[in-house]
Amino acid sequence: MPERKLTVDALVVGGGIAGMQSALDLADQGYQVGLVEKEASIGGKMIALSKVFPTLDCCSCITTPKMSAVAHHENIELLTYCEVTAIRPNGKGFLVDVVQKPRYVDVDLCTGCRQCEYACPIDLPNAFDRDLGAVRAVRVPFSTAVPQKAVLDIENCILCGKCEKECPVDAIDFTQTPEDMEITTASVVLATGYEITPRDAKDEYGGGRYPNVVDGLIMERLLAPTGPYGHVLRPSDGKEPDSIAYVQCAGSRDETLGVEYCSRICCMYAIKQAMLLSGALPLADITIYYMDIRTFGKGYEQFYQNAKAMGIQFVKGKVAKIEPDENQDLVLRVELIDEGSQVVERTHDLVVLSVGMLPGYDPRQIYQVPIADDGFVDTPSPNISPSLTARPGIFVTGAASGPMDIVDSIVTAGAAAAETAAYLQARGNGADLNHNPENAQERLHEHA
Amino acid sequence: MPKGTKPNDEEIRIGVYTCYCGGNISDVVDCEQVAEKLKQIPNVIVSRTDMSMCSDAGQAMIEEDIHEHGINRVVIGACAPSLHEKTFRGTVARAGLNPYLYHHVGLREQDSWVHHHDMPGATSKAIVLMNAGISKARLLEPLEPIRLDAAQHALVIGGGVAGLRSALDISHRGIAVTLVEKSPFLGGHMAQLESVFPTDGDAREALHELIDAVLSQANITVHTYAELTGISGYVGDFQVQIRKQNRGVSPDFQAFDAAVAACPVEVPDEFNYGLTTRKAIYRSYPGCYPDIPAIDWENCTQCEECLKVNGQGISIRSEQETLEINVGAIVVATGFTPYEPRKGEFGYGEYPQVVTLPQMIRLMALNGDDEEFRISERPVRSVGMIHCVGSRQIPGVHEPMPDGNVNDYCSRVCCTATLHMANELHRYFPSMHIFDVYEDIRTYGRGHEEYYQEASKNMVRFLRFHADDAPQVIPADEGDDYPLLIKVNDHLTWGEEVEVPVDLVVLAVGILPNPIEDIINMLKISPGVDRFLLEVHPKLRPVETAVPGVVLAGTAQGPMNIQESCAAASAAASKVAVLLAQGMVELEPFVAKVDHERCDGSGQCVEVCPYEDAISLETMTLDGKQVTRAVVTPANCAGCGSCVSACPNRAIDLQGWTLDQYYAMVDTIATGMPQLEVTA
Repeated sequence: MPERKLTVDALVVGGGIAGMQSALDLADQGYQVGLVEKEASIGGKMIALSKVFPTLDCCSCITTPKMSAVAHHENIELLTYCEVTAIRPNGKGFLVDVVQKPRYVDVDLCTGCRQCEYACPIDLPNAFDRDLGAVRAVRVPFSTAVPQKAVLDIENCILCGKCEKECPVDAIDFTQTPEDMEITTASVVLATGYEITPRDAKDEYGGGRYPNVVDGLIMERLLAPTGPYGHVLRPSDGKEPDSIAYVQCAGSRDETLGVEYCSRICCMYAIKQAMLLSGALPLADITIYYMDIRTFGKGYEQFYQNAKAMGIQFVKGKVAKIEPDENQDLVLRVELIDEGSQVVERTHDLVVLSVGMLPGYDPRQIYQVPIADDGFVDTPSPNISPSLTARPGIFVTGAASGPMDIVDSIVTAGAAAAETAAYLQARGNGADLNHNPENAQERLHEHA
Repeated sequence: MPKGTKPNDEEIRIGVYTCYCGGNISDVVDCEQVAEKLKQIPNVIVSRTDMSMCSDAGQAMIEEDIHEHGINRVVIGACAPSLHEKTFRGTVARAGLNPYLYHHVGLREQDSWVHHHDMPGATSKAIVLMNAGISKARLLEPLEPIRLDAAQHALVIGGGVAGLRSALDISHRGIAVTLVEKSPFLGGHMAQLESVFPTDGDAREALHELIDAVLSQANITVHTYAELTGISGYVGDFQVQIRKQNRGVSPDFQAFDAAVAACPVEVPDEFNYGLTTRKAIYRSYPGCYPDIPAIDWENCTQCEECLKVNGQGISIRSEQETLEINVGAIVVATGFTPYEPRKGEFGYGEYPQVVTLPQMIRLMALNGDDEEFRISERPVRSVGMIHCVGSRQIPGVHEPMPDGNVNDYCSRVCCTATLHMANELHRYFPSMHIFDVYEDIRTYGRGHEEYYQEASKNMVRFLRFHADDAPQVIPADEGDDYPLLIKVNDHLTWGEEVEVPVDLVVLAVGILPNPIEDIINMLKISPGVDRFLLEVHPKLRPVETAVPGVVLAGTAQGPMNIQESCAAASAAASKVAVLLAQGMVELEPFVAKVDHERCDGSGQCVEVCPYEDAISLETMTLDGKQVTRAVVTPANCAGCGSCVSACPNRAIDLQGWTLDQYYAMVDTIATGMPQLEVTA
């Protein structure tokens, strides 16, 4: 029998921006919410970004207060470093098995002072910085992590015991084992997010072999004030780049990868990064190679026009091939469609692949929730009820239901909360949401 | 005494925090130097910096200082107060301090963002602004928010898909809804669509399902032919006036067809975007909601012809009644209107063969199952579709609209809608030649790219133009096989000048906000530069306006497709539920307060007050004497300060922003402190 038990109205799966916002929108209405996050901190992909379009707000300024609000909300139970392993129907709701992965740190004792981290002799590539820079085997995940608690990577730990010795509150605990938990919930919101195109996806672009071909998320870390170098430097030799190329649709709209859809965010993040780069490296030339510029959101087209006015070069053409030269610079083979479709080779010293969005999680096995051909959660009535899944009581928000940017994720989070709340309310009243259409016109006659 | 209040004679212990704002401030301002200098100011106990003070770690640091160092006033220099003043009030309150013993200095907007060319100057200004904030903080008093009962009732303005979706979601939370629709029929623009992307489902079928769901909710009241005419009050307690127009036709009226035949008035039918006409007694479409016809009072001539057919159930007198209701929140779902091209813009209004995409959708519907598609009595063999008409316009290149505006935004829906139409045309008329003249194809949504791929497979020919080199629609030479030519410099083929002979030109027109100046003025909400209604912040508060209790749903806020409108409408409903579900709303305590000892009842404050019932003169007993004094109704006071400046006796102050606090700040800025000067 699991020791820990929890009963909630809604269980939100995923602590990225969409999951956090859904949890807040439900909790603010008075519902009890459980929020399960598989990583050691909430914040998702967004917390690793630099600044965000179209306002150019610092990303932490938007994300961290929401993380904090989630952590402090009296109606939210935050379960980090946890994974859902099974879910089964239970009366009108669900019984969910969750496993708490061992942090090897007693979170009730840990104060986040980082003495363990300073004592640890093991340096590992920092996944938060997309493997640039280093972290210790025991660490607070990142500076703005919530909770501010250390986590120990047992795979890479040499059990030297230095952290245990240094910890002022004796929080290190090598004896921790996975802990089972049982959650009774009336509803589930899937906010399982996305992954990006793997770096080795396209052989034509080096298949991940060239250090100076980076992806959009790596560039986010290079631009972030908390980034690995504190400056934009190219990975191979630490040189300040002075000619940077963006390759659009590097993983989207690409039949060869089986990703035929548009990832929606890449045009805007490339333009945003190009703008931030022109600030960080005023002398650098920046070129964006694109198929179509899709700046469709509110204020986005104006953002694009501003970038053009700032001198960022937009070149219509699909990059066919990238190869390094002897200086680790990159030679791009590209068709310049606006210049008579001539095929040319152009050299840049840093290339950013505007990689696309892939589904972050397949919910079929555990949740019995079907996915669509694109791999994202299927939404059977996408126009009128975009957060409904094919399974009653389970809802979806954010990029789990297809590529979308932060603004759209936050809006769909509110929509998923509304849909979930309606479901909970009907369930509580013993009513159902199937409507009786017979007297519809008559109701209008009353006030005609 | 409210919780967390420090006695007045207690020592003032100020904690000062200078935020890096993730580089937004620290890239320009030397935050460490600012923090160091501020330590020298009297009453400052701690002065610290952080990469992002609003993060959990940053907030925890402030909480810890309050506990450990007995901090009883907090000053934070960070982004604009509109972003995180509330965040930090929460921090301060969690630590047990009254949340109003905190002052926020906008170092980002007021300093680093505007002085990035002068870093020492910006650092110096940061010190001065922070010092002024500290001076104010010394005089801060504990305050309590104003708590008011909230009406469990919401008003939704607009009966299109967004308004309907919002109404349904709000009612599901047990909150009553009154929905008002200006036209006599529900459904908005969605009712005018046929097959819709990305499902290829029938638009009206989906819409009718939604309307049925709305109408099956006992706590939703729908008023068609009704509009908002007045409003007063505040979040939780708005009084709204709704003017309801009579339909002139009763629900049991049976002789609609005969009445239509008898009516001599013919006006363009807006349902078909003026392609057909209708009578002054009309239904928007068969099966519309409500199914009762209405009289178009603007065009009815009161000729009484319809009465002669069957007098039962028709009244040709226009009557209005005004309803008053009390609501806690308002959803603005006033929708959009398609861009109407100027006469001559791509031949629109000049050649009958040039139509807009919304018109084309209606033409296809009117064409029914015909195997041939004809326009101006000629079969259409070749059609050209031009994108971005009225969207992505560039000042100086595109001619402004009559109101002087240039639509520089992308209208979001037109690319997919155009390709959807191209594929429909190919499906019904496989031999038709289809040309698509575009700038960028923006099939961004889930399932949208498929329409682009399908169009390519369907042999739709794509030609690409640049915004400053737009295509032209010109008449073909006399005797030519085709009436019109689209002349375009095609940038997919060397910028070659191509002339495409066509029978029909379809303009993919953009989306404009509906003209709702009256509603904007009544609700005191703001449009953005694009003239769509403005949200507080696209990520922090994406569906809320700056007016508490007024939220946005759908295309009133910006171009959106049906899916996006419904998501936004549901998100708006969530906000309404958050606001009203607890039965109570909280307002900021920054309102006027009268010192009745100083007040002599001159009434000058009442005269200048721009708000209704915010301040009034009342008779009261003071020291045993009957006197007249000004009294503030906090819920109606917006804290504008007009009364403060009008008062001849300095008897009025704004709580949280008192004159003494202002004087202290101004004195600090004016006098300066030599020891605070910036060191290079």
